[in-house]
Amino acid sequence: MESLRPARENGTKMPYTLIDHTADIGIRVRARNIQNLYEEAGYAMVDILGASLQPGAEQIEMRIDGLDRIDLLVRWLQEILYFIGVKGFRVSDIQVTALTETNLSAVLTGGTAKTPLATEIKAVTYHDLTIREIDNQVETIIILDT
Amino acid sequence: MEKLTIKRIDPYRIRIEKTPPMRTTGLVYVNSALEKTLEHDMVLNQVANVACLPGIVGPSLAMPDIHWGYGFPIGGVAAFSLDEGVISPGGVGYDINCGVSCVLTSFTRDEVSSRINELLATLFGRIPSGVGSTNKDVRLSDKEFLKVLLKGASWATKSGYGSPGDLDAYEDRGSIAGANPDAVSKRALERGLPQLGTLGSGNHFLELDVVDFIADEERARKFGLFQGQIVILLHTGSRGLGHQICDDHVHEMLKAMPSHGIELPDRQLACAPVTSREGQAYLQAMAAAANFAFANRQIIIHLIRGSFEKTFGKSWDRLGMRLLYDCCHNIAKIEQISWKGSQRKVCVHRKGATRALPPGDVRLPERFTATGGPVLVPGDMGRMSFILAGSQWAEETFFSACHGAGRILSRRQAKKISRKRSIADELRRQEIHAVAASRSTLAEEIPEAYKDVSAVVNTITGAGIATAVARLRPVAMIKG
Repeated sequence: MESLRPARENGTKMPYTLIDHTADIGIRVRARNIQNLYEEAGYAMVDILGASLQPGAEQIEMRIDGLDRIDLLVRWLQEILYFIGVKGFRVSDIQVTALTETNLSAVLTGGTAKTPLATEIKAVTYHDLTIREIDNQVETIIILDT
Repeated sequence: MEKLTIKRIDPYRIRIEKTPPMRTTGLVYVNSALEKTLEHDMVLNQVANVACLPGIVGPSLAMPDIHWGYGFPIGGVAAFSLDEGVISPGGVGYDINCGVSCVLTSFTRDEVSSRINELLATLFGRIPSGVGSTNKDVRLSDKEFLKVLLKGASWATKSGYGSPGDLDAYEDRGSIAGANPDAVSKRALERGLPQLGTLGSGNHFLELDVVDFIADEERARKFGLFQGQIVILLHTGSRGLGHQICDDHVHEMLKAMPSHGIELPDRQLACAPVTSREGQAYLQAMAAAANFAFANRQIIIHLIRGSFEKTFGKSWDRLGMRLLYDCCHNIAKIEQISWKGSQRKVCVHRKGATRALPPGDVRLPERFTATGGPVLVPGDMGRMSFILAGSQWAEETFFSACHGAGRILSRRQAKKISRKRSIADELRRQEIHAVAASRSTLAEEIPEAYKDVSAVVNTITGAGIATAVARLRPVAMIKG
């Protein structure tokens, strides 16, 4: 069973899909290219956490290393989760500024807020994580441990 | 992997036949009714995937509350050779040493029923719960926090949270040996420090139950249980500390796997030889997280006792609030097992499973030598829970039993079917009082989201792994 979450109001971002997983939350994210996929996956997680902020002025520059693009995706989302869960950062914009198979640079824009989160995500898992091309788009399915 | 071949062995067990690349069979404890709940997900494939890991000893096991996890299934148990086998952080899970405590009281239900709302409000006010909860009353220096990671529950009792006698009621006396804070990242310490003494969210809870049926008078008496008695179940773990340790070490193992020649069907099974640098580092960090979890539960037990003292105006020992037992659900341990006629040491992973030691086992606290170790099996918030005792036949599961009811609905499905319902009102009509840090938690945790725990317990007792001692019914609860 799946359900589609709407795209954000500016209409430039892709919607994502929630997938049922007995213990956890699964998300299917699509984007027009791999760089956008990392951004869209970040937005999807921010949405599930209830960690959006409009607008924000603070910026966090991030540099992530991974073993390959799947590991890079997990570590990227773990890093966003850390800033939201531990540092209290709330996100208005995510921009991946540079990307290779094993490195990512990005800027998170937003601000620190004391608003409670909607859900606790313990971790971003590697479980059956794939990134594939489909219908001229790039798609990933990620299981979040909640 | 090829299509799995499943064979029913007896009313309580099914076997997954060994098919390449499996190194051993799978053995799943389910009766025919519970087997139907397995059809909805990929859970048997996960049992088979675990059977592919190097150095596995005996079958890849699953308890009757098995459900779909990530990497290992929830309810999975697997033992690995110390020479050729592996250790896997995914075989323990993110919430390292998530576990359950049971605190006794001398009250009957009638004696607390007129004060239940007041008591619940006091508990809710004193025990931080919910998403990202922190405990500002437990402020520790970095140096003191390292003692928590090394000592576990004994740090808590020495620091004024409870009494030294509590340690007799902990699995491994509330401290896993070999903890090394140097194997714990700064980020894990940062996540864990403010969360010591908190319940957390999701399926973590604190529950008052009434003993409504005694199945074994002799064992119940030795456990300190009696008909009509109020007891307290507490379910929580190592919070953000454990989550981060699992993250860190899965990544380290993924990096190291090519050098160890390990290939896996699922990255979440990431593992390393038990004896390798990565394996040892994980064991040391995992022990630190486990000790945090023991201390966390001990602090909350202290807060529970304080809430009863405030409400009833007597000290906790006069209220009979002795700790019956505290056990781990998510852990890997080096344990002695009997396998093919000889004794050997292995690394037993339990991910959503409880250790179930038989009568006479030297690892048991003296008070349980004659009875077998208590096995605490919380059910859902509307039906029942059980207290069992380990039996000699638990040898075939490396002394492991079920840990709960096991989910059958995703959180989203549960929320969907509970839309337009007041779950708190429904529970109140059954004379069950519930408070939650968030409304959605009650919706996600509705009784229908779980298997019937009595079917789970009937399977594990029918298979001879444990024996029933008492049944509990929920009276009041706090959901995280």
